[in-house]
Amino acid sequence: MTCREVELRLDAYVDGELAEPEAREVAAHLAQCRVCAARHDSLMALRAAITAQVSYHRADAALRRRVRAAVQAAAGTGRRRWPVLWRPLAAAAMIAFVAIGAWQASAARAARDELAGDVLASHVRSLLGEHLTDVASTDQHTVKPWFNGRLDFSPPVYDFAGVGFPLVGGRLDYVDGRPVAALVYGRRRHVINVFLWPAGHGSAAGAAAETRQGYHLRHWTTPAFVYWVVSDLGTAELDQFAELLRRADAVAP
Amino acid sequence: MEPNELVRFEAAMLPHLDAAHNLARYLLRDASAAADAVQDAYLRALRHFGGWRGADARAWLLAIVRNVCRSTRPGGDAVEFDEAVHSGDIADENPAAELDRREARETLEQALERLPAEFREVIVLRELEGLSYKEIADVTGVPVGTVMSRLSRARERLHRALVAAAGGRS
Repeated sequence: MTCREVELRLDAYVDGELAEPEAREVAAHLAQCRVCAARHDSLMALRAAITAQVSYHRADAALRRRVRAAVQAAAGTGRRRWPVLWRPLAAAAMIAFVAIGAWQASAARAARDELAGDVLASHVRSLLGEHLTDVASTDQHTVKPWFNGRLDFSPPVYDFAGVGFPLVGGRLDYVDGRPVAALVYGRRRHVINVFLWPAGHGSAAGAAAETRQGYHLRHWTTPAFVYWVVSDLGTAELDQFAELLRRADAVAP
Repeated sequence: MEPNELVRFEAAMLPHLDAAHNLARYLLRDASAAADAVQDAYLRALRHFGGWRGADARAWLLAIVRNVCRSTRPGGDAVEFDEAVHSGDIADENPAAELDRREARETLEQALERLPAEFREVIVLRELEGLSYKEIADVTGVPVGTVMSRLSRARERLHRALVAAAGGRS
């Protein structure tokens, strides 16, 4: 290949867009032509400078809210949410509990019930479509950075493959009206969805274990995150998995 | 629209909101115009969601963003594309290494802003989004060969801007 032919293919070469025989020819030329090699290095340096220096304009939270609101209004559903359906029930429950002076506990329980419904619906949805993961990888160092810029927090991702709960991937999901991280782990043929988002923002601390529609849910909060774990896995194994997560979080930096 | 369809739309398209905004921001060079364009693009995407074949959601959405931006861009670009100005060799200096980070950032961003939109968008799609030539061709509606030559020329221009900045400093 002549220098001119190499020059014409240099961009495609550095972009990994050249077919194999041509790419090999370019590489061979670069190995023995200093002028073209310098041109190649200069192009690589430019690309590195662009990715390192040029701003990436992420959408801020206000735009995210605005777009979702516009989409939901245009879709004409107004996104039917659980609270409307639950309100009469919650009110009835509240009156009953006020009598015995425990209405706060009941309100918290109603809110948690709602959340459990949300989380379970998301879990089922993830199993129905082909949308189990946005990023499919068993490598925690691939899955964790994928969330950068997609969420305003960085979810802890662990590798439990050694103890039989391999990482499957991650997904952006929506629970309780906010974007959350959904991490997918596997156990044989079973899927475990781990939903988490930052603690605070009025989220009540607490823990729960329950079974709905054949799925088991586990919920707890750490100082940093609210956790919901859902699976059709047996309760013993699910508890074992939840314990692994709690312990990993406790020793995480 | 069925609630399930809305859920499907949001799950497929909302993860690409950053990409949509970044492209609009570079095409329109204005924060509030970019936000408007992004909202408009999502509404258009929603209307045409039935036509989405489940292929690359990001490329599909970005093509819509691009169309919205092109139809709203006031008066075209300040700098018109002039073939004669940028047909030259990439010099083999490495100016990025000579400029400090802040200078390199300012120089690059200014040079990028000044590029004609056709060049600016290939840089954004390739270097900031990491799209393949084929995906860029799908988004911009031009053949892969055109993507390649635009990208090459755009890089040449940015390189030259860095060389000029490094030269002007010493």
